[in-house]
Amino acid sequence: MRVTVCFYSYFKDLTGCARTTEELTGGSTLDDLFRALVVRFPRLGTMRKATLMAVGVDYQSRTYVLREGDEVSLFPPVQGG
Amino acid sequence: MKKQVTITAEPINEPALLAQRAMSQGMGAAVCFLGVVRGTEGNANISALEYEVFQRMAEHQINLLLDEMAKRWPIESVRLVHRVGLVKVNEPSLWVEVVAPHRGEAFAACQCLIDELKRAVPIWKKPVKGDP
Repeated sequence: MRVTVCFYSYFKDLTGCARTTEELTGGSTLDDLFRALVVRFPRLGTMRKATLMAVGVDYQSRTYVLREGDEVSLFPPVQGG
Repeated sequence: MKKQVTITAEPINEPALLAQRAMSQGMGAAVCFLGVVRGTEGNANISALEYEVFQRMAEHQINLLLDEMAKRWPIESVRLVHRVGLVKVNEPSLWVEVVAPHRGEAFAACQCLIDELKRAVPIWKKPVKGDP
């Protein structure tokens, strides 16, 4: 299955892009996706513990099981206000 | 609870927002908060902050926070304006107004909303040094 991945804030600098897609096997979780992304974008690996992940507009845990067409967002801790 | 959430690249027009305030007769407190860009970030002088937002998610997460606030306090209305893009030092980046029957719940709800916004709403800021 294919999912879309969006990066925000300095994650765009770490990966060199704002958006990409990733092919995963069925039943893959957000954690599986993160591991696959670290292979492509090794600098993301240093942010493993600080990475927030959302599917659509809701935060999800690393055990979330992805579905075809999901739009996943990865970003560092937020800093609004 | 009435809610109005605006995330905009336009400057925050505080006088216009205050002029639009609406309170029913049962309300006795309107707490306003204005967040302003400081001229320092850590130990460094800055000239501005560049705010980035994931707009759809930010609006959704703020609305979730407001729904939680409505369960905790008898709030009549909340208005929130967050500016994004380049915001110069001394300019406001955040304006929040909470209208409630009493000051205690209005202050508490306003504080809670701002704390939670900083924890959960996908907005980031990058310091700008030199001329913005």
